[in-house]
Amino acid sequence: MESFFIRYRNLLVLLAILVAQIVGLAVQVRRTSSGHNTLDPQDVPSVRLIRLWADAVVTPPERLIHSSKLGMASLWQNYIDLRHVREQNQELQQTIDRLRLEQAALLEDARQGQRLQALMDFQQKYIYKTLAAQAIGSSGSDQSRVFYLDKGSADGLDRDMAVITADGIVGKVRDVFPHSAQVLPINDPTSGAGVILETTRIRGILRGNAAGQPQIVGILADQRIQKGEKVLTAGGDLIFPRGLPVGVVEKVAPDPERDSFIDVIVQPAAHLDRLDEVLVITSTQPRFSPEEQQDLAASEALKGPEAEAIKEQKKASEIMAERLPGLTDPNLPPDQQPLRDSSNPNPVAHPPQALHPDRFTPGMAPETAPGASALAKPEAKPKAPQDKETSAPDGGERKPAPKAQAKPGQQTKPERNP
Amino acid sequence: MSVLSANSRRDLEIRRYPLLVYVLVPLAALVLQAWLPRVLRGYAWFDLPLVVTVYFALGRRSPIQGTLMGAAMGLFEDALTHHAIGVNGITKTVVGFLAASVGIRIDVENHTIRLVLNFLLSLLSSAIYVFIYRILLGLNPEWSWLTELFKAVGNSLIAVALFPVLDRLQIRD
Repeated sequence: MESFFIRYRNLLVLLAILVAQIVGLAVQVRRTSSGHNTLDPQDVPSVRLIRLWADAVVTPPERLIHSSKLGMASLWQNYIDLRHVREQNQELQQTIDRLRLEQAALLEDARQGQRLQALMDFQQKYIYKTLAAQAIGSSGSDQSRVFYLDKGSADGLDRDMAVITADGIVGKVRDVFPHSAQVLPINDPTSGAGVILETTRIRGILRGNAAGQPQIVGILADQRIQKGEKVLTAGGDLIFPRGLPVGVVEKVAPDPERDSFIDVIVQPAAHLDRLDEVLVITSTQPRFSPEEQQDLAASEALKGPEAEAIKEQKKASEIMAERLPGLTDPNLPPDQQPLRDSSNPNPVAHPPQALHPDRFTPGMAPETAPGASALAKPEAKPKAPQDKETSAPDGGERKPAPKAQAKPGQQTKPERNP
Repeated sequence: MSVLSANSRRDLEIRRYPLLVYVLVPLAALVLQAWLPRVLRGYAWFDLPLVVTVYFALGRRSPIQGTLMGAAMGLFEDALTHHAIGVNGITKTVVGFLAASVGIRIDVENHTIRLVLNFLLSLLSSAIYVFIYRILLGLNPEWSWLTELFKAVGNSLIAVALFPVLDRLQIRD
């Protein structure tokens, strides 16, 4: 018996290790109600322990490599690539000023939207707090697209937190370790995010396909879905706040498994294969964050003088327009219009007389064509004063019509017919 | 008699390395395997833990050590993914065992043999991986044989370049 174990010890060790791993695999797989096998998304404690060990072994060297790479890059940027910083700084300052004005313009709409949401008992979640993190490593396997961040539970990260960049969403935190976190990107087949198409307002679930592209699955075929349409987060998955950019529609393909359904392939807005720094949304609240409120206050403070300047500019242009001679005066007969005034220092050049006038010649509509005179007559008539300008009640000062004066987006009262 | 001759050959040509090499080389392979795909952006057609497993299994010429080495490397690889732990473990356990068993019988100093061995063991590893996922677990992983072929070629080329470097680390009497 002893000789049997000695003789076959290699094979016995192999078998023992294989059986142990197969048993370990069996406890990680479960059968769904539809009869398919799936991996348990929630790791059992022993599996989590192995992941923790692996992370503790691999992450510190990865962090070291990444920081040394960053150090080299910062050396380059600090000492060599500083030539255009001043120009860039000025451009960025201009961009900030412009964005502040835009933000101030949109602020009223946002507040109105909030009031309406409050009336409808619907609370929009805003990104309240984010944490910047560096992507330091990957799974090392092309079957798993997860990657690792250099921040973990010690920094306030938790499972199912949304990971984004300035361009768009990236994924969600799948697992958290003390000083690192595993992120499941949106192009992994096991991921899922609720999305909505911006124009058609069609909702769907976004997940990765075999080629590593995110696609919206399980939506009915719709001719309105076109290439280039923007895809946003729908906000129903309780992970990603509503309205974050996801990407644009790249193409529409029929669902290979179900008739009349389509898969919408999405070009992600975030560069998923070139991620370096990401933001983890650590908190969402139904109100603006202190930083956002500070920005809004700055925008409002900037809005006052800027709005005054724009108002002054508009008033000056109106006064200037009134002082300049008009091309048509509704109070004068057609033959005494300024266009025909011989004292005008810059007379209007008239086209030369046609040698052979026909029905296309201005003012020479043939009488034979039925209805032609009727069509030509209104054009010959001078325009009514109400069309462009209205007289002031005192009869002296003329003001532009209210329609022309109304700002874009401003609500005007519709006129009622008596 | 053949077993005896194989054992005696193994005792004669068995390689020994400093303890630090046994720790640092596999660790470096795991770290680089996790880090390089981020740098190479989808062109990481190699499996460094597999190459290192094959190297130590061939050099040590001990199926038990090859098995244990493969199992440890595979389990670490699995732990870094979000998939089930054990798939790569089983794959590399078998590869380590086979590499050590082959190392007893043939001359593994030859570069061509190393190249061919790595290529075949890489393809075998991919086949076992698919078998476990599809047959044992009943899952349908994303899969491309072309990628696996590229990976096998990449592993072979890396092995040809890396093995002589690692040979220099062995303890010589």
